[in-house]
Amino acid sequence: MNRLSLRRLLFRSLAHRRARSFSALVALTVSAAISTALFTLYADLDDKLHHEFRGFGANAVITAAGNSALPADALARIRVELGNDAIAVPFAYAVATTDRGTPVVVAGTDFSEARKLNQWWQVDAWPTNANAALLGQRAANFVADEKSVTLTYGGKTIQLNGAGRIRTGSEEDSRIYIPLSTFTAWTGAQATVIEARIPGSAAQIESAIARLQTDFPGLSVQPVRQLVEGESNIVDHTHALMYAAMLLISLTVGVSVLATLSASVLERRRDFALMKALGSSQSKMLSLFLAEALLLAMAGVFAGFVLGSAAAWFISQINFRTATLPNLTVLPLVLLLNLAIALAAAFFPMRVLRGLQPAALLRGE
Amino acid sequence: MAPFPYVEISTTRIPAGPPVIELNAVTRSYTGRAGVVRAVENATFTIGQGEWVAVTGPSGSGKSTLVNMLGCLDQPTSGELIIDGIGVHQMSRQDLDRFRADKIGFIFQQFHLIPYLSALENVMLAQYFHSMTDEKEALVSLERVGLGDRAKHLPSELSGGEQQRVCIARALINNPPILLADEPTGNLDAANQQIVTGLLRELHNQGHTIVMVTHDPEMAALAGRRIALSHGRVICHPISPKMVTLQR
Repeated sequence: MNRLSLRRLLFRSLAHRRARSFSALVALTVSAAISTALFTLYADLDDKLHHEFRGFGANAVITAAGNSALPADALARIRVELGNDAIAVPFAYAVATTDRGTPVVVAGTDFSEARKLNQWWQVDAWPTNANAALLGQRAANFVADEKSVTLTYGGKTIQLNGAGRIRTGSEEDSRIYIPLSTFTAWTGAQATVIEARIPGSAAQIESAIARLQTDFPGLSVQPVRQLVEGESNIVDHTHALMYAAMLLISLTVGVSVLATLSASVLERRRDFALMKALGSSQSKMLSLFLAEALLLAMAGVFAGFVLGSAAAWFISQINFRTATLPNLTVLPLVLLLNLAIALAAAFFPMRVLRGLQPAALLRGE
Repeated sequence: MAPFPYVEISTTRIPAGPPVIELNAVTRSYTGRAGVVRAVENATFTIGQGEWVAVTGPSGSGKSTLVNMLGCLDQPTSGELIIDGIGVHQMSRQDLDRFRADKIGFIFQQFHLIPYLSALENVMLAQYFHSMTDEKEALVSLERVGLGDRAKHLPSELSGGEQQRVCIARALINNPPILLADEPTGNLDAANQQIVTGLLRELHNQGHTIVMVTHDPEMAALAGRRIALSHGRVICHPISPKMVTLQR
């Protein structure tokens, strides 16, 4: 026994008005695609942005009291405390004299870690051996020969090969950087500063700093406020921007779907009037109409999820040079949003339906 | 000839059974900017089971309003409207929807078939809103109007007369006690008019109660009784004993 089911009525009705159904489906797919892309990026945004911020320099500075040397095991312990995602770089400073007799600040550091920490440094060639130096843009003028740099500190002279230049636009331009081991061997001084990049939100950074302060009571652990607050603001503003974009797009899609559904009700008012005459209750008629809108919304979600995930992957690749994988956890949110848009858009057409006068319509008035 | 306003006895008339429609002082009024308008005023008459009644009147006479009430698409402002022994004048909207599905079969001038449903599915639509659909029953209904072989065709693939016959099959599917036909041949050519008229006669001979709205005097003459309206008031007229047919 074959039955005329709600499902058959729905699909036939949608197929009969292909253009309108397609128009509404496209609008709802676009909405779902954009919300999928935004939600997927949002979920990954903090990590991606913080990863980008990693190369912007330290957001915490650790020093010993009275500018004395840090304990020998301080760096290793701090690295363990902060975890593998953090970067901690030691620096030691001394004022030496160049072969031209010009005083210059010489910094000893771990080049491989400093490179990770300060990706914004413009360096044409990083030193690769113990006798190589990195010359600041301005400091290069203080030496007679960049390729063979002679520095004197405390009566001890050291000969270095100038590997490359560093340009930052800041105080680094006036310094000469050498490997920490070479610095220590030459000056006898240990690192006095550890610059650290702690990953996470402002709250997480503050929490890590507080832990360091507790675990290393003899050390001063200070946040670099501008960076911590600046990053936090960027992340918050980006989130707000995403919400605003999503809201605007949802409103636009809602208006588009409203127009399509309203036109559909007007086109089909005689069909609905007939259903009423045949004994359909108000609620059955409205549910038939609403079911069409919700079915389109759901179809839009599944198509939109695929498109949106692809868009998120592409955007992430372009902007962060890493992939953002499809995130199934955003699907319920996207579904909820799309259904809400369809429901809101169906509200006024359903009011029109409720006010239908079947008798007048069926008589052609 | 029987005295006015009583119904004449025709040799071809099927005797009416107990009343299936009763109106007692039914009035339908609307309040507009110009004040209260009485579309139907103080209508009192009965229609017996098995009768074929023509409702006639010019535009604005209240014909549509009367038919809407008989079809349970509208309710009286005052008075009693009893259909198949049940007073509908005080029913709730939900009960009225249900009642209409049970008691009234509609035959429309413009057919009003759903364009994306086949002839069979259009008939089943009436079942859908009544109780449960049954393809076999719907097919029997189509065969009854001579369209068993056109069951899978869409309305766009049927002629006007065929569409009207599908409409009749749909009206009959739930075995309603009353068939309400609104200008059933108004949109048909002469040939199809004859076919549909023949069908209505057959249904009447089978004992169906038919209330037919028509402007066509020839169609009106087919009915056993005429109810004429003028300015919202109902007047019952006897018809000529001669049965007028469409075949000349």
